[in-house]
Order: sequence, then structure tokens, then C-alpha cells
Amino acid sequence: MEALPQVLLFGLLRSGLYALTALGLAISLGVIGIVNFAHGEFVMLGAYVGFWLYLGLSGPLGLGPEVSPLLILVGVPLSAIVLYVVGLGVFRFTLRPLLARPELDQMLLTFGLSIFIVNATAIALSPQAQDAQMSWRFELLDLRIASVTYARVASFAVSMGLVIATYVLLMRTRIGKQMRAVAQNRLGAHLIGIPVDRVYAIAFGLSAALAAAAGVMLLFTTQLSPFLGLATILKAFSIVVLAGLGNLAGVVVASLLLGLSEQAVSQYIPDGAALRDGLFFVIIFVVLLARPSGLRR
Amino acid sequence: MSPDARRALAGWGGFLVLVAILPLLGVGSDRYLMLLANVMLMFMALALSWDVVARTGQLSLAHGAFFGIGAYTVALGHKFVALSPLLGMAAAAVVGFVIAAILGAVTLRLRGIYFAIATLAFGEVLRTVTLQLPDLTEGPIGISMPPLFDGDRVASYYVIGVVFVLALALSLGVRYTRAHYAVTAIRTNESVAAVMGVPVVRTKLLTFAASATIAALAGAFYMPFITHTDPTDAFDVSRSVASLAFPIFGGIYTTAGPVIGTIALRSLEEYLRVTPPWKEGYQVLYGAVIVIAVLFIPRGLVGLGESFRRGAFLPRKGGRAWRWSR
Amino acid sequence: MALVEVDGLVRRFRGLAAVDGLSFAMDEGTTLALIGPNGAGKTTAFNLLSGLLAPNAGRVIFRGRDVTRLSADARCRLGMGRTFQVVQPFAELSTLENVMVGALFGGRAGSVPAARREAERLCGLVGLAEKTGWPVSMLTVPDRKRLELARALATRPALLLLDEVMEGLTPAEEREAIALLTRVRGEGITLLLIEHVMSTVRDLSDRVIVMDYGKKLAEGSYAEISRDPKVIAAYLGTDE
Repeated sequence: MEALPQVLLFGLLRSGLYALTALGLAISLGVIGIVNFAHGEFVMLGAYVGFWLYLGLSGPLGLGPEVSPLLILVGVPLSAIVLYVVGLGVFRFTLRPLLARPELDQMLLTFGLSIFIVNATAIALSPQAQDAQMSWRFELLDLRIASVTYARVASFAVSMGLVIATYVLLMRTRIGKQMRAVAQNRLGAHLIGIPVDRVYAIAFGLSAALAAAAGVMLLFTTQLSPFLGLATILKAFSIVVLAGLGNLAGVVVASLLLGLSEQAVSQYIPDGAALRDGLFFVIIFVVLLARPSGLRR
Repeated sequence: MSPDARRALAGWGGFLVLVAILPLLGVGSDRYLMLLANVMLMFMALALSWDVVARTGQLSLAHGAFFGIGAYTVALGHKFVALSPLLGMAAAAVVGFVIAAILGAVTLRLRGIYFAIATLAFGEVLRTVTLQLPDLTEGPIGISMPPLFDGDRVASYYVIGVVFVLALALSLGVRYTRAHYAVTAIRTNESVAAVMGVPVVRTKLLTFAASATIAALAGAFYMPFITHTDPTDAFDVSRSVASLAFPIFGGIYTTAGPVIGTIALRSLEEYLRVTPPWKEGYQVLYGAVIVIAVLFIPRGLVGLGESFRRGAFLPRKGGRAWRWSR
Repeated sequence: MALVEVDGLVRRFRGLAAVDGLSFAMDEGTTLALIGPNGAGKTTAFNLLSGLLAPNAGRVIFRGRDVTRLSADARCRLGMGRTFQVVQPFAELSTLENVMVGALFGGRAGSVPAARREAERLCGLVGLAEKTGWPVSMLTVPDRKRLELARALATRPALLLLDEVMEGLTPAEEREAIALLTRVRGEGITLLLIEHVMSTVRDLSDRVIVMDYGKKLAEGSYAEISRDPKVIAAYLGTDE
């Protein structure tokens, strides 16, 4: 058994989607300074947009195996655009009025939004889990170390592509540089004439769009249900806490660490399921315990 | 004691008398109404205790988790050492306090967002772990035990009544002692509170631990009351949601708010739960209530009432004719 | 023995040293002024002293005790009080209640009524006697400065850090404030002030430290400092 290379491979593949989800969360936290408890619901809504497209493509159009690449090429951008607009709306009408209010109010609001979206989705659609039975979930790709499904490879590749694209956006474009400036120093950014309000809105939209893309890719590997947001966001939180708040570059490394350690626990610890699924909390707890001074105001 | 405190104590004393004689008013024989009365008191205790933590500016998303800890303390005590429900409640209070103190010691030194994130994660991790340790917890099947007082809902009403009184005492105690000045200062500006000598971490820690103890007691009561617990029910996020939606709707940072909010929203929930298309999605109401209250009525019903008394709703010359809150 | 001793304090923000090896000592009952151009690191030094920031290196000794690792509230209870340049009253409390917080937790008031009496006395002392019941949002800027001082005094400090208490005051109010601080000093309270108004520095302080780029540029009496060519070049020479 070549356990180690397999652990590394599967851990790496796991981490892609983690990074994509956590990056959006880190952007809203770093740039706007808001903890978005509804980020997981953006992932879920993005997944539903992808799912409807999948139903449309595979049902009336009768597309078979070709649906998987189409879902990536069309579904990811479509879902991202839809959620970008949703994000702008959510920011404009709920978060912006609260920017001057205490942190507690802001957190309560996003938490309330999260509860609202989950249950509204459950009522409007169905609380039952649904499954996009895509062929890629079962077709195997031989990577010599191990055979992995197309779905895993695709979700990793698309996620990493989008993560890299986001970093390029942040480093190279005008709006990206403005976002980083605002993240570093709100008042200073305002003083040198950066339209902080607009930067906030775009950052929040971008964060929702990234969540939506992650949601579509989640369809390849996971069942869809209105309740998938919670588990998603908790892992994302552990990554953001591990990377350090607002540290966008650390997100990829932290995701890799979570993915690898989850994989290692599954592989090496018998009956390690409880530990694997609780690992996100262990990470949060240990980070908070280990470096409190670095996390102070 | 200040005149304000005396007035508040008198008012709440009257309310308690009402609560105490409720079963004698013909309600005691109606099993459904008594079930509702038991659950109401339980949620009032949860809401009051959540609000006390909020007064320090902290968002606890772990009240459901401590409820589950209480439930499982009683359940495991029954399963392994045949502990009686009442002793189980005492044990649950201790366990809840200790775990909250540990969780708080790690998270409350830091910015409030860490506390909120950690408390949310805490509840979820407890659910996952209890699900996957069948030797200890029976996994998803859960643990059953005989009903509290053989299902006598009047007797159990007085048991949860004691928990409610504790929660009420905590809420009033934080309002009408020096603690009020500490929590208000911390909530408004932690740094300034610290240089005024307010023991910031200790205050937040004690408040959270006391509050979590109440939540654990509520869960410890609920488990034998409904005779069964399992991970999904015990650590259901919806209980954390209810613990905060009630005070926010009724009026945050007050004692009347959580009580009024619980009566109003829990009654509505009772109706929605059996009414399509809401059913299990009735929680959409709580999400909506939280969002709307935070945005438009930050002081809840109590705040609205106060504005009304002060005449804020009267048409005014110039400016806007109607003014919401404050 | 010195009341407070600062030894090699360093605090960096993103690699940039805001305070870079600051050392000084103060005897009980003396008044020291900390001056320097904007961005010299004065307020950061205050945050390090009062415990709101942890230093990257260095020590703070207060009353013979190493308080470097102590929290801000513990330092306050040991006798270190401070005001903020940007006044930040507790908006949900009245003027009197704001002062009561200091008396209850930093000071020696054992009960709420005792704190109320102490707060009333201090509000009278700083000239807020008529406004004790007001919501702080109704206070003017000079009144807020008075409140800031009353709150700090309520904690019964042995050492009081004053961050630009004169800012925004009219010359008449300034004279009043100087008289008040002279009285405070007369009670034996050691004062460390950040100040921009040179006449105040001259009238109040026994000694002056000039900071520039996080470092101590010069130290001495007001007369010595004002003759120092380094200081003139770095500080008095700039259009402050």
C-alpha cells in the first residue's frame, strides 16, 4: 500500500474547494470587516442555480455525459453572476445600513439572513436532499498513484483556477488594489479618495460569486440540500482563523492543511470519522489557544 | 436599592405569582396547555440567559449546544449510573459551567467575532462527535429514559419554573447591580472599559458561564421531560436560533424583552408548526424576525413600547411625521 | 524608586516600528510631557503603557512591579489611569454613570451609591455639576474632555496619562484646565502628558521628552529642550 502518496493526493484534491469557499469568506471579512454567517447559504444557493441548469440540460435537452463539462463552462459563470447580483443587493439593503452599528448587530444580521435563506429554500423547494447524478462522479481517471473520479479532479482544477484568478484580480487590477488598500486601512483609503462604499459592495458581490462557483462544483461530489451551508461555512471559518483574519494569501495554505489532515486522519486512525469531522473545531480551538496575542485588536 | 430596582422587583414578583398559580387556574388539567407552559418557561430561561451574554457585546451561538450538554449529562448519568433526573440536572449545571468556562477562557480574550465563530462551531462539533461515538451515546438512535415525575406536567412545570427563576435572577442581577455598569461599558467600548479598570475578560467569562449553566439546566430538564434525546435533536441549531430570536424580537438588553419575545414568537411557532406550507420551515420566521428587528427595531417590542410612551409616534411638525424606535 | 520605568519598548506595525526602543523613568509626583511631531509614536507609547497594546520587546515597571504582561484593567486597578485623545464616552450611560464606571472598577468605591457620590464630587471638580444626568451625546467637545478627565480621576490613579486634553479648547478654557491639572498634581498624582500646546508644556511639566520616528530624540527641562538644535530641526522647525 502506497498510503502516503494517496493521502497527499486526496488531501490536495479536497483542499481546492475549501480554498475557494474560504477565500470568499476571507474577502468579506478582510475588506468589509463583516463576519458573513450567510456565506454557506450563498454556496447553497449557487449550487441550486447549477442544479436547475443541470436539470434543464439533462432533462429537456437530453444531454448525457456531456453535461458535466457544460455545467462547468456555463453553470459556474452563470451561478457566479446570479449570486454576484444577489450579493450586491444583500449588501446594499441589509449590511450597508449597519456598517456604523456595533459588531454584534452585524453578526446577528448575517446569522439571521443565514437562517432565513436556509428555511425559505426548504419551504420553497424541498427540505429533502437531491442529487445530480453526473457521470463524472463515477468515471475514474488513472493518476498512477491512485484512480480518482473526474469529479474530484474537476472540482480541484476549477477551484484552483478561480482562486488564482481572484489573486490576480486583487494584485493587478485597480479594484483589487483598492480592496487591499481598504482592508489595510479603512480611514486611510477613504482619505486618499478610494470610494470605500463601492469597494465594499463589489467585495461582497465577489465573495458571493466565489461562493456560488464553489456551490456548483460541490454538485459534482455532494448531495444538494438547503442545509449544506452550515458544514461548509464551519470548515471555511476554521481555514480563515488558521490563516489569520484578512490574510488572503494564507487561505490556500490553510486549506491544504485542513484537507491533508482530514485525509490523514481518515487514512491512519481507525474509526477516525468523529475526529475527521470534528477537525475544523480542533483547528479553531487550538489556533485561538495558541496565539491569542496575535489575534488581539 | 434604587427605586428603579425596587419597582422592577415588585413587578417581576407579581409576574412570578402569576406563573406559580397558573396550573391552578384550570390550565393544570389540560395536558397540551401544560406542555406548552413547560416549554414556554424553558425557552424564557434560554432567552433570558442568551440576552445576558449579549449585554457584554458577545454573540453566543452555543446556547443550543449547552442545552444539548445538559440533555446528554442527564441521559448519560441515567444510562451509566442510573442517576435520578433531579440529580442529573445538578450535574448538568456543573458540567455546563465548567465547559463554558473552558470555552470562554480560550475565546473571550479575543475579538468578539472569534467567540461567535467558536460557539457556532462548538455546537456542530458536539453533534458530529456524539453521532459517531455509539459506545458512549448510542449514536443517532439516542438515549431514552422514563418520564420526569411519571409524566406529571404540573410537577415538571415547577421544576422548570425554578430554572426560569434562576434565569430571571441572573438577568435582573446583571441589570440592577454594579455588573450593569461593567457590561454596558464593555459592550460600548472594550478598550475604554479596560482602562477604567473594568475586568473585561473576567466579566465576559462569568456572564457566559452563568448563562451557559442556565442553558444546560434547560436541556437537563427537557431530556427527561420528553424522555428521549439524540444528537440531532439535542444539538439542533434551531434552539440557539430561538434563544436569540426571542430576545431580539422582544427587546435586547432588557429583562422584559426576552420574556415577551418568547411568549409572542413561541406561540406563533406553535401554530406554524402544524400549518402547511411552513411546517419544519417555520424557522424562516425567526430568520426574518432577526433581520427585520436588527434593521428596523433594534430595541424590539420593549423599545417600541417605550418610544410610544414617550410620544415618538405622534405626528411632529417638520421632518418625518413618524419615527421608528429610539 | 521610580514610580514608573519604561525600558526599551518596541512596537512594530507591519514591520514598521511605531515605538522603537523607548526608555524613560518617572519619579512620584513629577510631571513629564511627551512631545513630538504627528506620527512620532506618542499615542502608541500610551497604548503600550496602559496595556491596550502588547509590545514586541521591552518592559514596563510600575510601582516596582513588572506589568508588561498585565491586562489594561489590572494596570488601571494598580493605579494607572488614562484619557483618550479621541474622547469615547459610553454612549448608553449618562455623564454621571460614565464617571461611576471608573469609580466602581478602577477606583475604591465599594458600592453603587458610593460610586455615585464620588462621581458627583468629580463632576463638580471638572465643572460638569449641572450636566450629570445628561446623555453624553448632548455634551459639547470641551465638556467631553472634562468628562474624560473626570472618568480617569475616578479610577484614583497614581499615574495619569493624559492624551491631548487641551485639544479643541479656547484659551480661557485652557487656562481653566491648566489650573485644574495643577490642582490634580498638587494631590500627588504623577502626570504624563502628550501635548501640542507649548505654553501648556512649559507651565505644567518638570521634564520633557521629545519623540521622533518612535525614538527618544531628547530629554530635559523645557528650557533645555527648546535650545536643543536637534529638537529645533526635527520638531520646532517643522510647521506643527
